[in-house]
Amino acid sequence: MIPAITARVPNKPFKLDSATTRTLLIAAQLLALVIFVLALDFLRLTTGGTLFLFSTIAPVLALLAVAAVGGVATYRFLRRHSLFEVEDVEPGQVIFREGEEGDCAYFIHDGEFAVIREENGTESVIARLSAGQYFGEMALISNAVRNATVRAVTPARVAVLGKQNFLTMLSLMPHTQQDVMKTVNERAMRKAKK
Amino acid sequence: MALGTAFGSLLLSVFPFFASAGSAPTDPAAQFQQDPVQKVAAGVLLVLAVIGIVIVIYSLIRYRGSAVGPASWVVLITGAVAFPLLITGVGTILVFQRAERVEFCASCHLTMQPFVDDLKNPKSNSLAALHYRNRYIADDQCYACHTSYGLFGTVEAKKEGLNDVYKYYTRTFHLPIKLKHPYPNNDCLKCHGGSAKWIASHQDYKDALFSGEATCMQCHADSNPAHNIAQNVVPAPKR
Repeated sequence: MIPAITARVPNKPFKLDSATTRTLLIAAQLLALVIFVLALDFLRLTTGGTLFLFSTIAPVLALLAVAAVGGVATYRFLRRHSLFEVEDVEPGQVIFREGEEGDCAYFIHDGEFAVIREENGTESVIARLSAGQYFGEMALISNAVRNATVRAVTPARVAVLGKQNFLTMLSLMPHTQQDVMKTVNERAMRKAKK
Repeated sequence: MALGTAFGSLLLSVFPFFASAGSAPTDPAAQFQQDPVQKVAAGVLLVLAVIGIVIVIYSLIRYRGSAVGPASWVVLITGAVAFPLLITGVGTILVFQRAERVEFCASCHLTMQPFVDDLKNPKSNSLAALHYRNRYIADDQCYACHTSYGLFGTVEAKKEGLNDVYKYYTRTFHLPIKLKHPYPNNDCLKCHGGSAKWIASHQDYKDALFSGEATCMQCHADSNPAHNIAQNVVPAPKR
């Protein structure tokens, strides 16, 4: 008999949610706009003030913009390449939202999750998932955005598999691929019926 | 790059104030003193800034801060990373070039305007005016006389210049403006030291001047002061 392995320390890795990501990317672009305006101002009229702003403030803003975009890109890259990283989830915590880019699939170890669709401002739960099931695979296979929101109902624990490793796993394991495709088809049919 | 430079030249001809900023439009010699590096750098910088603004605005409207799919990432990285880095790089070349212009020095007008007025005064007997009037120095006259040669001279000048800009905009300068260090012979001798006419007329003193035992200003301060600003009223700084 294989002994059960349980992690004793709660795993709460750094998480960049979609709102923070959006704020960072918009901020980076606004910083870039300020740099462009400082450059035009310096070109239009070279004085001590415009030269000082362009030669000292613009490089700092450029570094901040690079850090924001680079930070988001690195986070996305690490998520895409994560290999069954275990995460503890609190009740009510949103794992991902409808319309976001899909970068990983989630395998439920413990707890319960609600799959939610939003129409005309009202939420409806289209499925409940528990230990042994998985979610988030559709966006990875279809290369589309998330088609539903997933929220934890109870305290839960999931194993996160990045897109890259998920697709590699499917290509190397035909039986798993068939199983996943069957689940995807079932979910797509259920969604179509609703 | 050639296409960008051509587009830059076109933009500069449409918006001439971007190219002529800082140059003296009343100086007829200015048209013969076009610095190709400065012209190309200004054109490239203008093109980059305009295209950068278009890309970022397009990205903000089209993607609204989300990065879904490769196209949005390409637009995002081009507008928010590549172009700002290119602009600060190309801009640095132009910063070093334009910071050498007389008009740039004059832009701190509360402190520097009297010196520049004297420089351009056809009746002034100061050394600065003499050099300017006769074009002993073709352009960037302030910089030419106040910066020692070599990399460290340039870097030192930029460092002190930034300090001066800080003092000017924070109004922490003190009037009358004085040199931080005695004017070095080196800054005269770098041009005059090899001149046959100068050597002939300074036969008796040249060794003392080269060795630093005597200073140029010991003799020239009375007959031809470096700057003749006694009659200029330096306005009090606004607080």
